[in-house]
Amino acid sequence: MSPWVRSVRAALGRAYPRLVGSNRDRAWLFYDTVLPLLGSVALVYVYRSLGAPDHLVAYAIMGGAAMAFWMNVLWSMAAQFYWDKMAGNLELYMVVPCGLVPILLGMSLGGAVATLLRAGLIVAAGSLLFGVPLPVRDLGLFLAVFAVALVALYGLGVTFASAFLLWGREAWHTANLFMEPVFLLSGFYFPVRALGFWTAAAASLIPLTLALDALRQLMFGPLHPAFLPVHVELWLLVGLAAAFALAARASLRRMEHLARREGRLSLRF
Amino acid sequence: MRTAWRTLRTAFWLGWQVESNWTDPLLFALYQVVRPLGGLLILLFMVRAAAGPAAGPALGFLVVGTAFWPAVVAGMQGMAWAVVGDREHWRTLRYVYTAPVSFRAYLVGRALALVASASAAVAVTLLFGWAVLGVPLRLELGELPYFLCAWATGVTGVLALGLATAAGVLCVSGEAWRMPEAVGAALYLVSGALFPVTVLPEPLRQVASALPVSWWLEALRRVWLPENSPQSFPWASDLQVLATLAVLVAAFAACGLLAFGLSERRARQLGILDRETGF
Repeated sequence: MSPWVRSVRAALGRAYPRLVGSNRDRAWLFYDTVLPLLGSVALVYVYRSLGAPDHLVAYAIMGGAAMAFWMNVLWSMAAQFYWDKMAGNLELYMVVPCGLVPILLGMSLGGAVATLLRAGLIVAAGSLLFGVPLPVRDLGLFLAVFAVALVALYGLGVTFASAFLLWGREAWHTANLFMEPVFLLSGFYFPVRALGFWTAAAASLIPLTLALDALRQLMFGPLHPAFLPVHVELWLLVGLAAAFALAARASLRRMEHLARREGRLSLRF
Repeated sequence: MRTAWRTLRTAFWLGWQVESNWTDPLLFALYQVVRPLGGLLILLFMVRAAAGPAAGPALGFLVVGTAFWPAVVAGMQGMAWAVVGDREHWRTLRYVYTAPVSFRAYLVGRALALVASASAAVAVTLLFGWAVLGVPLRLELGELPYFLCAWATGVTGVLALGLATAAGVLCVSGEAWRMPEAVGAALYLVSGALFPVTVLPEPLRQVASALPVSWWLEALRRVWLPENSPQSFPWASDLQVLATLAVLVAAFAACGLLAFGLSERRARQLGILDRETGF
């Protein structure tokens, strides 16, 4: 079997439990959809209690969908090797002939598609519950931004995964630390321009910042205070996707080497 | 009683070590305050997006709710996570359970350790709200007994909720670690943490009125905020708020203990008390 075929088969094999296995258990679907939705509904009521217009309510619903993606990247990509270490799978991954990259690609593919389903449910439920219209002005561009953002986001997840390879208990706490601060910096629930240009520019290293801003421009037009023009944000996302792909590859090699050398690959606690 | 107290103290120490000794104290302190402050700033920018820079009394409501929320999460989720963590992660539940100590006291001690670690976040968020956001927070000397009474009763209520959640976790396998999160998210929505419960639709408002957390947050706001601030239960006097909180906490404590006892018995009968589910 050629290395390419082996890698593709390994990636598809790793994607399978995320695509099929996670949907077999209805409880996962419930928790992955209802939990972010509950948080978003609470924030919708904050906007409603302040008499905010509908497009701000839609921001809170979109924030819930973005949160589903971020949680997936953080807990099921970045921290996945930590869970695998706990479960004893990591050693198995290390000795299989395909290497770690196809396994991470499979995790990304399966995670992205499964989360897409959940995010769609969150947006649909939120929009129906609160009667908020979610118009899309340029569907082609909207889909392009969304797709590139997903590639960049999961590239970031793979980069994180390599860093988490070294960690033990810190992994759990570090993943926790990347919750609210990231929701804040990426403007999950409000226009990111409110943070000021330079803070928003720094936060653009997280692909969701640019993606949310571009998608909101394509949905609400002049009502949304834009950070950068949509086309600029799309190209920046393309750049981030490429940069994270390269960074992930280099970081994975480096961290794997370090983890082997320091004997941390099978260190559970 | 003495054994229970000793168990509680030891469990508190253990909980504190589990929470804090993965890093140095400075980083741990930073870790404790970053998330709540991040949450508060999100709400601040939301308020500014909706109402402009003059957010008014709504900001004070948000600051107090956000400041005390980590204590709710710590007390309620801490107890359930102690069960899940000991069973699934550390795999020590069977040893703790078979030791000659009170399992309930052990869980209460573990949860109290989390409440203690969350109090730094409470203090820093209140300080940030007052000093940076200019929210007119106050704690007058005459209101200190009311505050202490509300705080102690509220923490007891949160522990009772935690006991009920832990009861559920004892009999749930695969998704046990997500159940406390789900309960926390539901409470976040209906307990008036971020907005007065009067904003909610009628059925959810009824649920909010039956939860000790809603009354606890209301009591804390009555102490910390000026009188013209928004309230979840504007018809109730300060004493009525405290009395309702006490009655609800007593009811929830009784229900929590009963639910935990039943759940514990069922888990033992089914032989799933220490069954790991990750494999």
